[in-house]
Amino acid sequence: MMEALNFEPATAEEAQDQELLRISLTYWQDVWRRLKNHKLAMVGLIGVIFVILFAIFGPLFSQFSYSDQNLDFANTPPRFSIYRVADNPDYNVFLTRDYKLLHISDNGTILNRLKLDDKDVINKKYTYVDGDKSVLLDFSYNLLPGKEAEYDYTFSMNGAPEVIQPLKKVSNRLYPFGSDDLGRSLLVRVMYGARISLTIAFVASLVNLLVGVVYGSIAAYEGGRTDNLMMRFVDLLNSIPLLIYIILIMVLVGNRGLWTLTFALGSVYWVQMARLVRGQVLSLKEQEFVLAARALGVNRSHIISRHLVPNAIGPIIVTMTMMIPSAVFTEAFIAFIGLGVSAPMASWGTLANDGLGGLMSYPYQLFFPSLAIAVTMLSFNFLGDGLRDALDPRLRKG
Amino acid sequence: MKNYFLRRFIYSLFTIFLIATVTFFMMHSIPGGPFTREKPVPPEIMRALNAKYHLDDPLIVQYFDYLKGLVTFDLGPSFSKIGTSVNDLIKAGFPITAKVGFFAVLLITVLGVSVGIISALRQNRPIDYFVMFMATLGVTIPSFVLATVFIFVFAGKLGWFPPFGLASPLGYVGPVIALSGYSLSFVARLTRSSMLEVLRQDYIRTARANGLKELSVLGKHAIKNALIPVVTYLGPTIAALMTGSFVVERIFAIPGIGRYFVESVSNRDYTTIMGVTVLYAAFYVLMVFLVDVLYAIIDPRIKFEKESG
Repeated sequence: MMEALNFEPATAEEAQDQELLRISLTYWQDVWRRLKNHKLAMVGLIGVIFVILFAIFGPLFSQFSYSDQNLDFANTPPRFSIYRVADNPDYNVFLTRDYKLLHISDNGTILNRLKLDDKDVINKKYTYVDGDKSVLLDFSYNLLPGKEAEYDYTFSMNGAPEVIQPLKKVSNRLYPFGSDDLGRSLLVRVMYGARISLTIAFVASLVNLLVGVVYGSIAAYEGGRTDNLMMRFVDLLNSIPLLIYIILIMVLVGNRGLWTLTFALGSVYWVQMARLVRGQVLSLKEQEFVLAARALGVNRSHIISRHLVPNAIGPIIVTMTMMIPSAVFTEAFIAFIGLGVSAPMASWGTLANDGLGGLMSYPYQLFFPSLAIAVTMLSFNFLGDGLRDALDPRLRKG
Repeated sequence: MKNYFLRRFIYSLFTIFLIATVTFFMMHSIPGGPFTREKPVPPEIMRALNAKYHLDDPLIVQYFDYLKGLVTFDLGPSFSKIGTSVNDLIKAGFPITAKVGFFAVLLITVLGVSVGIISALRQNRPIDYFVMFMATLGVTIPSFVLATVFIFVFAGKLGWFPPFGLASPLGYVGPVIALSGYSLSFVARLTRSSMLEVLRQDYIRTARANGLKELSVLGKHAIKNALIPVVTYLGPTIAALMTGSFVVERIFAIPGIGRYFVESVSNRDYTTIMGVTVLYAAFYVLMVFLVDVLYAIIDPRIKFEKESG
């Protein structure tokens, strides 16, 4: 019998027991707490955020666009040695690898290119002019027989004594990463390439995610013959070298747009996601909450989308994080064999491909795009590892 | 067991057939034929060319001709290299690619596995950190970067190795390193984590408690079991090496099959693309099959799982 007599008021002490000693954390707060303690994952997260900001906002701060060319300033490295050929007013010059003479300010801004006036090829002497100033370049020192010197070339302005020592090394102010063979800013192109590469990677991973989740969850939920048939198809796809198929698709479509590549990547790499989701759903669908939902008459698509998939979200996110760098990688690979986005668009892969030609003279043209790829790969991998530990401690690897 | 292998084998053959079919219809759905040029070819020449290569037959006839060719290992003439057949290209290129690939596989298994084991045995010591650092770096650096950096530093600046070609044995060093970089790092990581997993198992403790020597604990019990996941990875490794050869052969100017494939892609040489694709796919399917067989032999548990599932 439930009557007031059967109850007695709780003492203050007893009441206190009921109070929460610790703030209860939601799933995501808990994940975040664990992730924060994972140092490498935080490094990865910062790296990812940095790369994304770099791609979105980087180009806004530059005076150049990704396709602005200036042939006069082609192939300038990120750092160069300048020679002071005149004092009061100071006049600094820098000789590029292809014998262009550039007028550089003290802090490293490229001001203008001097006009090549006279070429004495036999004696290896070139004369450059800029208005009334003329600079004589003598680069015969280590090229002609009988002359051996510690320096390779000297400058002399308007007949003044020869300058043999560089004044100092300065950083290129106009093009912090140097410029490419058409005089486009490599920094801007790498930033722009980040947009293309990351867009392809994100969209392709998203497509993979959607297809994989839908396919895997339907296969697992339906079970039986449907599941068997669907998974045989996945097995079949899995036993095909997919990269070759991406190449074939790119050859087939012919049009080297951004979306072709995204489509090609998105259409083949969902297999892994489908398998993962299937495995998760298979174990989840036997649980009581699914039975309860079924008993309440919830329809199939609702059970899948509201009850099963959200419970498998942890591993899905981890796989997604790992998919992005591999998409960046694949994109770079495809671009590198000449099937990337067409010029003047640029992705990291096409930039690296362009840089390959002049590797010996202009190594920085390959270095910066490669660095960008490596940083992105590292960041996403670290973040993915950390997320795996944080989202599902059971999956923690030794 | 035999039944399982037979089923897997038939399944592999079916996969190859399907790949060949899909590739055929993909290549034939391209608008314009292989002789479409910017400057139009006179119609009678076009007709003669089409007749010569049987391109005027109905598609289904061409398809059966193509299948017949596949069964008899005749992949047809190359459309861009006049007078050579795809078979010739493969005969010229495949041994070279296979040689480089073989050394890469050797490096991956020997070095990757041993480094992974050492790293696991010295967990959280400097050598472990060093190996893991290198391995992490290895999976994040694309092969073309590895290859170009190698050329730049060791061939260009230091002059220790030839920058291209395979004329001297030293020429193999660069391509093999560039080709195996990714998989080597992956195998090292995989071996380490699976070794750590195995070392935690009860049977290892039992073996130690029984007074077995450390060497036989590791050799007889730990390493054998730790290598099972590594064996599964060998199939995908071979795929990575094959596709990796596209880039590496281009950079090091090696006249292997990967370079022919990339060239045929840019020349739109459809028969070569088709032939090499089917060859690659068949090779890959075969490797996956062999790895499956190997897998079932080393680990009897796997077979039953697959049989019931």
